[in-house]
Amino acid sequence: MSVLKSGTLSQERIVFLFAVVLFAAYALLLDGFLAPNNLVAILRSVSVLGILAVGMGIVVIGRGIDLSMVAVMAMATAWQLAMMNAGTPPLLATAIVFAGVVAVGIINGLLIAYAEVPAVFATLATASFVFGLVRSRFIVQDAVPVPPSASFILEFGQARLAHMPIEVVMFAVAAFLSFVALRFTKFGRYVYYMGDNYQAARTMGIPVRPMIIGQYVVSALVAWLAGLITAAGLQSINTRVVNSTLLYDVILVVVIGGIGLSGGKGGMRNVVIGALLIGIMLNGMTILDLPNIYQNLIKATILLVALIIDSRLNPRDEQVGQQGDI
Amino acid sequence: MTLIETRTLSKSYRGNLAVDAVDFDIAEGEVHALLGENGAGKSTLTKMIAGVVPPSSGEILLDGKPVTFGGPADALKQGIAMVFQETSLVPSMTVAQNLYLGDEKFLNRLRGVAISAQQFLQSLNFTVDPTATVATLGAAKRQMVEIARAVRLKARIIIFDEPTATLTPEEKRHFFALVRRLKERKVAVIFISHALEEALHISDRITVMRDGARVVTDVTANFTREKIVRAMVGRTLASGDAAKKTAVRPAGDKVLSVQDLSMGAIVKNTSFSIFAGQITGLFGLVGSGRTETAKIVAGVMKRDFNRGGEVALDGKPVRYNTPRPAMQDGIVYVTEDRKLEGFFETMSIAENLYSGHLAAGQNKIPVVSRAEMTQLAESWGRTLNIRAINPDARVVELSGGNQQKVVIGKGLVQKPRLVIFDEPTRGVDVAAIAEIHHLIEKLADDGLAVVVISSYLPEILKLSDRILVCRQGRVVEEFSPLDASEERIMYASVH
Repeated sequence: MSVLKSGTLSQERIVFLFAVVLFAAYALLLDGFLAPNNLVAILRSVSVLGILAVGMGIVVIGRGIDLSMVAVMAMATAWQLAMMNAGTPPLLATAIVFAGVVAVGIINGLLIAYAEVPAVFATLATASFVFGLVRSRFIVQDAVPVPPSASFILEFGQARLAHMPIEVVMFAVAAFLSFVALRFTKFGRYVYYMGDNYQAARTMGIPVRPMIIGQYVVSALVAWLAGLITAAGLQSINTRVVNSTLLYDVILVVVIGGIGLSGGKGGMRNVVIGALLIGIMLNGMTILDLPNIYQNLIKATILLVALIIDSRLNPRDEQVGQQGDI
Repeated sequence: MTLIETRTLSKSYRGNLAVDAVDFDIAEGEVHALLGENGAGKSTLTKMIAGVVPPSSGEILLDGKPVTFGGPADALKQGIAMVFQETSLVPSMTVAQNLYLGDEKFLNRLRGVAISAQQFLQSLNFTVDPTATVATLGAAKRQMVEIARAVRLKARIIIFDEPTATLTPEEKRHFFALVRRLKERKVAVIFISHALEEALHISDRITVMRDGARVVTDVTANFTREKIVRAMVGRTLASGDAAKKTAVRPAGDKVLSVQDLSMGAIVKNTSFSIFAGQITGLFGLVGSGRTETAKIVAGVMKRDFNRGGEVALDGKPVRYNTPRPAMQDGIVYVTEDRKLEGFFETMSIAENLYSGHLAAGQNKIPVVSRAEMTQLAESWGRTLNIRAINPDARVVELSGGNQQKVVIGKGLVQKPRLVIFDEPTRGVDVAAIAEIHHLIEKLADDGLAVVVISSYLPEILKLSDRILVCRQGRVVEEFSPLDASEERIMYASVH
């Protein structure tokens, strides 16, 4: 405890050290781990996860949580592809889906900021709603392929920039843009002020409720971007991902990177470190041919440990407890 | 015979004595009123007796034997119960379930519990329906349930902290009848209150506390209202406080006028005006609604939608639903609870001060400028004389005085026209108090409208050019500091 408190060992550093140690151990013990192709594969495997974590990170810093991200990611993309398959011009389909995604973000924000529904429940409900609506009304199968006419999407998915797959590039771009937004814009500072002390931010005259709406609109748009990138890479989008553990992996990345669930702490650096650790870990376990169920067990254990360290490092005192976190 | 006795009982919080070597005793069947200003140490003293906070030194004797309590549950086992201002009942359960809370049998039949609760309540002559859900009860009935629970647990001493503050006159009569019934059952009652008439009416003995120490204890018949007030405020004047004001700033333009403002049961039809270029002191005891009034003016709280009264800024009626438009109109409220709603604790002084600048929209483009932030922090750090080990220090690591200066600074950065300071020197060291006072006076000299809310009479008398006294949700009297005295103000604020 004293070591953890002294500041020399923040959670971020622990995670970073752990990632380095794990990387070194795999490099020594596993054949083929250090091959350039494998290293790129690690980055590629965490890119979509990382992009989702960028959006989630912004919301969590503002003392919220968005459980509708995976649903928005899959269903927005599926709806868009379905429309294009049915012959809607790509630009029109994109515009319609854009409006839909923004609407979901606004509804989340309205529920949380004005109706004062806890973020966990509000976003859980919109997740089910979005999934149910799109699955029942707009698509006919679980998986929606990219229409053959839209070859530009396929080409985009195969594109490489500086030898890096497009997913990795997009993750880097998303993380960098969010970094700039959080660090250097008024919006970004407001997110931190709000996450640190909502009541103080409100009394200061910061427009906290419009800010909450803005946050969830951003996370919804980021989720949609992740969906498009997934579809471009896999040539289709499978809506079953909504019922997978992807959402928990996103939270895992955010929390393990050191963005406290109590808000106001951490930044994009933490998301990147968290994503890298997960990527290294999962890649090694795959090479070791560990069955999926054990991988889940290990991930779950690590998430628990990260949460415990988080609550140790960022103890919630009585007053924070009264305001409630997430 | 004496039930419980304290000997030189003291409690200090981080070096500040809250209770200073108090001797106190109560006999069985006695009603003992404990009176004093806000912060006189009444609550802390009784919390030590009830085992809620451990004493720093001194001893508590129960039936003549020294005792130490591990916690409130421990004290309760020995027969000491405390009824808090906010009741400690479970709102979603019935009266009967609450009575037997923590004492349920393995097979807990609701009917059985309700029947025995009914019998028990009847034996006390309490008219509460045992099957009613606590959430549906009024304040007085809830208090009845709390008392019944204490009696059921064989409490011999029951401590009430401000029991009548939230009661209607009818409920108050019920309450006093209850206290008399407890007295007949040989239960000792400690009664903390700001309502002097009630204390004079119900108690056998009265103890007055001031600044953590006991001033006087005597049988009630020897007290009058005047004598109690004198004992409550008659502090030995510290140097600096003694200087009586000889001149006040003249009133400038009327900045704010409030007419018949109401909010629920807390603010009731209050009316007053605030003028530019002077300091208006707002004094009131707990429950007087002064903080709530200030928060309504600053948009932090909302007045009643119907018959909520009127607030006018420069003669134009305004209604703020959030603090933001109030801030944009130049009204800044500096909170009394800096940790809960004052500063951003994980951030540096500079970032805290900059929050005010950003929120006020003083930068043209929505982009953060480090240089601007550093410059702002430097200039305000100098103006406010904020002392930190290093400029990047997090606010939570600063002393109380420096934290308060940061909170004040981040309000003043917004260039307000009307500043409301709520308890600006609470939990602040002596040197910083002088600096904060100086700063507040300078703001008024610069032509701002300044309101200072304080529970500390010398502070009110020293700073104010006009003194408003709040009582039970409304401003009831206005004084000029030239002819006001602590006694007169206190007399107006108690009821």
